Amino acid sequence: MRRRTWLLGATAAGGALLVGWGLLPPRSRLGGKTLLALQAGEVALNGWIKIAADGSVVLAMHRSEMGQGVHTALAMLVAEELDIGLDRIRLEQAGHDSIYGNVAMFVAALPFHPRDKEPGHETDGVRLGERLVGKLARELGINATGGSTTIADAWEPLRLAAATARAQLVGAASLRWRQPREEITVQRGVIAHAASGTRGHFGEFAAAAAGTPTGEVRLKPRETWTLIGRPAPRNDVVAKSNGSAVFGLDVRPEGLLYAAVRMCPMLGGAPQRITNEDEVLRRPGALRLVRLPALAGLTAGVAVVGRSTWHAQQAVDALAIDWAPPPAGTVDSAAIATALETRAREAFANDGGLPFHSRGDLAAAEQAAVGSGARAVEASYRAPYLAHAALEPINCTARVKDGRVEVWASTQVPGIARALAARAAGVEEEAVTVHVTLLGGGFGRRLDADFVTQAVAVARVTGGRPVQIVWSREQDMTHDYYRPAGAAVMKAWLGADGKPQTLRIASAGDAITPRWMERGLPWLTGPVDAPDKSTAEGLFDLPYEVPHQRIAHAATRSGVPVGYWRAVGHSHNAFFSESFVDELAQAAGQDPVAYRLSLLGGMPRHAAVLRLAADKAGWGSKPPAGRARGVALHESFGTLVAQVVEVSAAPKLVIHRVVCAVDCGTVVNPAIVVRQMESGIVFGLTAALHGRIDIVASEVQQKNYPDQKLLTLAETPVIETHLVPSTHAPAGVGEPGLPPIAPALANALFALTGVRQRELPLKV
Amino acid sequence: MDLLINGQPMPLPDDAVDPAMPLLWVLRDALNLTGTKFGCGVSACGACTVRVDGEPLRSCVTPLSQVQGKAIQTIEGLGTPETPHALQRAWVQHQVPQCGYCQSGMLMAAAALLDRNPRPTDADIDAALTNLCRCGTYPRVCAAIHDAARALQKDAPRPSAPASAARKAT
Repeated sequence: MRRRTWLLGATAAGGALLVGWGLLPPRSRLGGKTLLALQAGEVALNGWIKIAADGSVVLAMHRSEMGQGVHTALAMLVAEELDIGLDRIRLEQAGHDSIYGNVAMFVAALPFHPRDKEPGHETDGVRLGERLVGKLARELGINATGGSTTIADAWEPLRLAAATARAQLVGAASLRWRQPREEITVQRGVIAHAASGTRGHFGEFAAAAAGTPTGEVRLKPRETWTLIGRPAPRNDVVAKSNGSAVFGLDVRPEGLLYAAVRMCPMLGGAPQRITNEDEVLRRPGALRLVRLPALAGLTAGVAVVGRSTWHAQQAVDALAIDWAPPPAGTVDSAAIATALETRAREAFANDGGLPFHSRGDLAAAEQAAVGSGARAVEASYRAPYLAHAALEPINCTARVKDGRVEVWASTQVPGIARALAARAAGVEEEAVTVHVTLLGGGFGRRLDADFVTQAVAVARVTGGRPVQIVWSREQDMTHDYYRPAGAAVMKAWLGADGKPQTLRIASAGDAITPRWMERGLPWLTGPVDAPDKSTAEGLFDLPYEVPHQRIAHAATRSGVPVGYWRAVGHSHNAFFSESFVDELAQAAGQDPVAYRLSLLGGMPRHAAVLRLAADKAGWGSKPPAGRARGVALHESFGTLVAQVVEVSAAPKLVIHRVVCAVDCGTVVNPAIVVRQMESGIVFGLTAALHGRIDIVASEVQQKNYPDQKLLTLAETPVIETHLVPSTHAPAGVGEPGLPPIAPALANALFALTGVRQRELPLKV
Repeated sequence: MDLLINGQPMPLPDDAVDPAMPLLWVLRDALNLTGTKFGCGVSACGACTVRVDGEPLRSCVTPLSQVQGKAIQTIEGLGTPETPHALQRAWVQHQVPQCGYCQSGMLMAAAALLDRNPRPTDADIDAALTNLCRCGTYPRVCAAIHDAARALQKDAPRPSAPASAARKAT
């Protein structure tokens, strides 16, 4: 057989296999009982739920709590379907099985346009793509808390696991009491049969339930919910108000040592000669020096182990180290910003970049518009690199002893942390235990588990004693995986009615996902970057009706380590797109809210959320003297958010009020949704007013909070949040509150001053 | 060497500490009182706030030698599980914390404020609570402080939980 024929045959067979695989039902996420370790008196009913002897419930918690409230919200889903009080649910960290993988996060990475995926009206392409990627993600089973996907991902499988457990418990009671299932009720953890007056708690039936067939399992109808949709208190608030909550930095295993880390100040550089090592190690409390390799995307450096974090930090600071620059040469953010704009302009002019969305016949429509007397609006925008700057600095604790590795980490990716630890220690993954603590902020930074490799590298040489590596704030801020800088060029031709007839956008920025995979999932990376929507999102997926469009993105690689930062591409692209829409409204001489509404035909949810924000903000009324309002509407992570900002600027900028409306589908816990909107708004205001990371000769210039300010309490506006009632499946809330705030603020400043700002951070 | 922490004399192992060692690391690493947090090391974020003789103090830049013989209060000593401080009750009522990392410092700064100013205005809170929070709990912090202040005024009626932040747009 000739090679070519063989290849064709193999491809056809592979294709047939793929189609066959695609038709098989997706892997179940219920999981087996053996996935859960049992304490005395406990019975496992599936891979998620155990029943304790006292009738309380233990939930295998697969996601990380970093403030977004998922430990509470996931427990609510289970309590709802089991009909037990939320306070009777205890959390235990889930193990490593594919049922705990995040399917929704991978499905959400598909670059579909919102007009093609309106709930209930999805196109065939959307359905097929989501099915195949969803099936693949179930096989991969990568556990990650990110992309505002926790509730969307758990919505079906977790409720189903609880409903299945409930069906088994009821079945066991039915058999024991010899009463029909239909006559047995469950309320607040009590199983009862009214007619015979028998009752008992879950613990009395758990052992029998484990062997009882489930029968038909049905999820509770929405109108019978007693927990979902109500503001239940969070299960972590008491511990977070009395100092007992345990974050990564708070673990204290017996015999703990501390290590301070110092990496090359030039990103990608490395330590060379250290001239005073012996002298430094003679200091009291300093124990030993460890060279840190450039694993998992890290810049190489050194660590000093000490008796306390302070002793270690003092010693590592005292080292005289010769640093070598990165082998590929140093980089500067100012030059990168210019290069990105140039790249965006090229793509704009030459139909370049990857077109994520095309519609109509743009070239013909643009040609027809030229010289027709129609108006064109063209503008370019820029955004800087940004640091995550979570309050808990990067840290990790590890013990390497007798061929086993134990890791305590505040991480969003326990499976990746385990794989990286195993690699760093030279052991099998099964020899590694990862304890996930609470996270003192994640925001995407802890989707990278680079620091785990450092902790293991140090713990390998401490004679079996556990060691906690700690990055100073300066190390944390200067060795982040930054929100990529971005640039975009946009142009629209307006029709006689002022509506855009054409929209051409070209943006440029570093691809995030391929770089993240190289660091954490190198076995999934290919020889070339797959198309990455993470920095293009928020531009190609605009809800507005424009007949002729080409929205393209040029993925770059600028040499700065980049990563997922809260709201990812939306974080800056919403500023670009929603500022530009405001420019179009201004050019058309129309009210910004009315103008947007006129472009939202066929998108009723978007229109409703915009109307709600405008109404609640009193958009139609004149603002008080000296003040102005701005508006923005943006969909991200399946959630629609509109915000109206009211500002004054004399003598200095005051943000008086932010009115926020959100449609996130079904609301699980409205109190958490409201706080996540506030959180996104405050985080976004920090970026809009203070956020920038400058890099000179590969060295990050902002070292600590005085250089990279965060919004303060005194600067924080009054924030009012209004929820749109919805029966759609739930979408995320951890990120979507952020994207609209920068453009809403910029639009308010334009309304106030007449000056349009097209670069972040805003000048005030 | 002894420190007076949360009303208890705490002996310190002589070989584990140095008079120049910041109080933060004495608390966290020598005494395992981990409720007080490390955030910036330069007195900028307030995550390490404790009270010394009642005054709020950023322990990351306060050497041990400066607090000898003084009454140190950390988050572990603000209330007890049975009788939480009014601020801690308000914190739960308003569901203030998100990630929670900065909250010990917030609470200690707020406790110091209420001791010297039992009915703070919004402006007083703005001036006193300079602690940084990356999650954006500020509106809830503010509302909870007002509520705790009211609860501490025994003759004032206990207000019910407001649905949203108490602060009004100005």
